[in-house]
Amino acid sequence: MTAVTPEVGGTAGGSSAGGPAAGPPGTRGTGVRVWPPLGLAAVVAALLLVWVGSNGYRQDLGVLAATYALIALGMYVPFVMAGSLSLAYSAYAGIGAYAVGIVSRDTGWPLWVGWLAAPLVSAALAVVLGLATRRLSGFYLGAVTLLFATAFETWLVDADGITDGSRGIGGIRNLSVFGWSPDRSQQLIMATVLVLAVAFALDRLRQSPWGVLVRTMREVPAVVEATGVRVPVLNLVALGIGAGIASLGGCLFASFVRGVTPETFTVNIVFLAIFMPLIGGVGTPWGAVVGALVVVELTLNFPAFSDSGTLVLSLGVLVILLVAPRGLLGYLDALRNRLAAGPLTGLLPRSSPGSSSPAGRSSDG
Amino acid sequence: MADRVSDRPLLEGRGLVKRYGGVVAVNSADIVLSGGEILGLVGPNGAGKTTLVDLVSGIQAADGGTLTLAGRPLGGPPSRRARAGLARTFQYPQLALDLTVRQNLALGRTARRNGGPLAMLRSALAGVVGSAPAEDEAAVEAIAREVRVGDIDRRCRDLTLGEQRLVEVARALIQDPLVMLLDEPFAGADANGVAGISEAIRDVRARGHGVILVDHNVDLVASLVDRIMLLDQGRVVFDGDPVACLRSEEMQRVYFGTRAGGGAAGGAAADPTAAGGAAKGGAADGT
Repeated sequence: MTAVTPEVGGTAGGSSAGGPAAGPPGTRGTGVRVWPPLGLAAVVAALLLVWVGSNGYRQDLGVLAATYALIALGMYVPFVMAGSLSLAYSAYAGIGAYAVGIVSRDTGWPLWVGWLAAPLVSAALAVVLGLATRRLSGFYLGAVTLLFATAFETWLVDADGITDGSRGIGGIRNLSVFGWSPDRSQQLIMATVLVLAVAFALDRLRQSPWGVLVRTMREVPAVVEATGVRVPVLNLVALGIGAGIASLGGCLFASFVRGVTPETFTVNIVFLAIFMPLIGGVGTPWGAVVGALVVVELTLNFPAFSDSGTLVLSLGVLVILLVAPRGLLGYLDALRNRLAAGPLTGLLPRSSPGSSSPAGRSSDG
Repeated sequence: MADRVSDRPLLEGRGLVKRYGGVVAVNSADIVLSGGEILGLVGPNGAGKTTLVDLVSGIQAADGGTLTLAGRPLGGPPSRRARAGLARTFQYPQLALDLTVRQNLALGRTARRNGGPLAMLRSALAGVVGSAPAEDEAAVEAIAREVRVGDIDRRCRDLTLGEQRLVEVARALIQDPLVMLLDEPFAGADANGVAGISEAIRDVRARGHGVILVDHNVDLVASLVDRIMLLDQGRVVFDGDPVACLRSEEMQRVYFGTRAGGGAAGGAAADPTAAGGAAKGGAADGT
């Protein structure tokens, strides 16, 4: 897989016809999204929450999916947008989980102190790891971060005084917001809202001038450098943002499960997370969320394959990449455009003059 | 235009050297550009034109020599030099092909707000909570019209090579550079492209800033520039008036391999157009 692969066919899945970096409203394109991603995602999320109900197992699945989604969203900015493959996201999630655990065990502070500290620590760590490999090719970033992630797992077991060793930290206090302690259902709703908010923010970020800058850096770094932006620094910033978001996944998981052990976040999760954007579609951060749901469904909620979930997942990934190289959302987007270009074309006036037609987008990739 | 030329050079490079192993690609070249001046850089393939532009813009590190821009030392990575006032295009157009022309052009403005790590974080946050600055949008549209880019909502992948070069020139122009370095912008350009690029060059000069124009097409260069530098095997062999350059012995020697003096000198004076024609043919083959 070349670095260019992830973003090819970039306008998949709900990028508006008005397009990224669209200016002030009205200057170009009414750009109305036929499927407003946030609205659609909220509806889907609400349906899922109804399905979960008060079933404890499904609540666990839901929080796990939200955790995966945050890790995959964390990888989205550096990996999909900037083209930097770091593999230390299990460690960043671990930092999130242990930050919450340590705050609960050692202090009387509210848990959200851990939620604030973990992203900062993770981002700083990501910057240090990125700095260490900044003069080397992207391969070494992957190698060094992978090494770090495995070493971090070992350290969690060894550093008994800090992490309680292989027992991990249990009995984490309940999350409490100004005296109000949400129950598990309410916590799952909050987790869902958090994922929706982060995905929505990243979707905006992707299409903002900054997002365009980062995506340009992946394709033609010499240009970004020649226009006055220091490429290695921008890369570090992208890595830091990604690490911070991923560590929120760890905070979420530990707060809900009220415990964490060294086995909670292993390197395996990184290899799952890499494929989440590809499964869902790299053209939008929402693809990472869809990918996380698919992964949880295939690996944990498929009774027929309970033990071979990962095998099923890898086959599923292959099938998806063959049938829908732009991911599920990209596939749906193309399907929708094909339908719109069909007999109903006249009935669905959709793009404003001047904006490229959605049909044109479906032909790419 | 001449009245805008200040006494102090805008860009001054002295004794620039670049070696690749045993090959000296640029051999103690001097390059001086005044405000409001357009300098043509010509020479056969391998003469060192692009290398010289790379040394100035910082894409390649020089093995020797000094550079100043507006009296200040010019050095460091390309991004620092860009912020000091350099903008350039590339011999092979470098565009984010999956993005639109509009997005590629806006880069020239976005870059200003991403000068360091904190600025980048601020800019990312602004991207989440705010919208693209209206003045950027206006600048993109104005420059696109001026340089005749056409529909800017096309994806760059769908552009011809000539159109891609035009977009590159427009992106450089949007940076409002003190010195704009154009590396063979006319290769593959049609009449519209030539007009658009020429307009961009005149625009920079009208602001009292400078342009360095690299091209094979000596005729076209001579018609646009105030001065020509002729490079051969890494050395500057002629630096002066364009018409005089076309008629010079060095021109004959470099492009046709004829020895200076004797009957060749007469030929040199007689057919500057032939030189341009030959160069033009070469450029066409290359595209």
